[in-house]
Amino acid sequence: MSALLQVDSIEVFYGRIRAVKGVSFEVREGEIVSLIGANGAGKSTILKTVSGLIRPKTGKIEFLGQDITKAEPHAIVRRGIAHVPEGRRVFARMSVMENIEMGAYVHGKAAEEELENAFARFPRLRERRRQLAGTLSGGEQQMLAMARALMSKPALMMMDEPSMGLSPILVEQIFDIISELRAAGTTILLVEQNANKALRITDRTYVLETGRVTLSGESRTLLESDEVKRAYLGGKG
Amino acid sequence: MSLLETIFRQILNGLQSGSIYALVALGYSMVYGIITLLNFAHGDIIMVGAYLAWLAMARLALNPIFAVLVAVLGCTILGMAIEKVAYKPLRGSPRISLLITAIGVSYFLENAAQMIFGASSQSIPAIIKLRAITLGGVQIPGTALVTLLTAGASMAVLTILVNHTRMGRAMRAVSEDTGAAQLMGVNISTTISFTFALGSALAGIGSVLYSCAYPQANPTMGAMLGLKAFVAAVLGGIGSLPGAMVGGFAIGLAEAFVSAVGLSAWKDGVVFAILIVVLLVRPTGLLGKPMHEKV
Repeated sequence: MSALLQVDSIEVFYGRIRAVKGVSFEVREGEIVSLIGANGAGKSTILKTVSGLIRPKTGKIEFLGQDITKAEPHAIVRRGIAHVPEGRRVFARMSVMENIEMGAYVHGKAAEEELENAFARFPRLRERRRQLAGTLSGGEQQMLAMARALMSKPALMMMDEPSMGLSPILVEQIFDIISELRAAGTTILLVEQNANKALRITDRTYVLETGRVTLSGESRTLLESDEVKRAYLGGKG
Repeated sequence: MSLLETIFRQILNGLQSGSIYALVALGYSMVYGIITLLNFAHGDIIMVGAYLAWLAMARLALNPIFAVLVAVLGCTILGMAIEKVAYKPLRGSPRISLLITAIGVSYFLENAAQMIFGASSQSIPAIIKLRAITLGGVQIPGTALVTLLTAGASMAVLTILVNHTRMGRAMRAVSEDTGAAQLMGVNISTTISFTFALGSALAGIGSVLYSCAYPQANPTMGAMLGLKAFVAAVLGGIGSLPGAMVGGFAIGLAEAFVSAVGLSAWKDGVVFAILIVVLLVRPTGLLGKPMHEKV
């Protein structure tokens, strides 16, 4: 099967610091792939580069067979990549409903059917649709960020640390929703610090260390690997 | 004139100049909200608007309606052009570079006007020829009435635009979190350009209304007006549109009352005293949001 997203040896700099040092990976249609690694490994930077917020110095990014390396962020969204950013970044001074409508921005107006889908998947948001997004709890904001991203009907959904700062019960809920999305056919690229969780719900995983992919493969296999156990799962190894 | 009439007259004066300050303050606030720039060239756009109205009426002998169109359209285009030429290339630069550029643009406009039109004032023919109406024994001058109605209508249209249209929503999204707005598919350049167009159109309307009250155009007329509108925006809470409106009217009324008690020489001083007090006591302004440094 051909790759939906093909990232080919990208290098990203912050000033003089090389944050991503020649990373390549791919996401195939229908897959759920994770990038795991410690803080500062370059995971978020890679997602930002794919969505066009940062430009890579070298390398190439292809989506649906087309080169998007130099495309503007808004054009990349239009092509079908949604990005749920780290820290959720909901529009705090807008209502929940307006946030969801912003998600459908590329389609002009939110379709009735899509709204129904969103509220069916996240019933809490229906209850709170008139509330300002800033007044939601962390878990609700995460759900809003996901609902908002889904409104663009993406071919690929990228999620950056969706479990960050949430209580264990909420983390459980968020991962359940991710599994549901996947079951519904959404292709997902997940960035996680919670390696254990990520490995359990994804098909394939790339392990990043200081800007390089150090390990990759089937998540099931990596979960059993001594190296991963020692470094990321706190196991005896 | 009875005391009551005097008070009423002064309130009317205050509202008239206040509505002009409000229109100009809105432009300051919108631009600040979207790219955190204090656009000090904004006041000079009013000056250009006044000259355009003068050109259209005194030189080209156009009908006042066309003169208004020329002034408003001219300001809109000028505002967008300034953004494209002066500010857009600096996107991503430190805020101070942008601020200094704005001051440079302001000087450029003032000196260009002086070069083209000369340093002395040009008098603008009457734009509004409307007789005063009498309401409950008090005369309301035609220009005051038209100014209040026009400013009110413009603010209503702006409020609807910002709160209930797709472009307005995009503007608010960019102003709150530019990166997140981009991830929703918002084209930042278009949105910024639109914001400048909108703010400058309001300044254009303001310039016409100002020219009705003070029918003279001179190269530096925008400086003081712009500064006062800036104070109005800060008083209301810069970045907040209702704040800009409230701030504008508050400054207008404050000036009118200072003049009414016989201290007109202190009019400008009071406005800047208000700025100092606001900055000391409530830096976020009346309706401003608490400030967060963007990480």
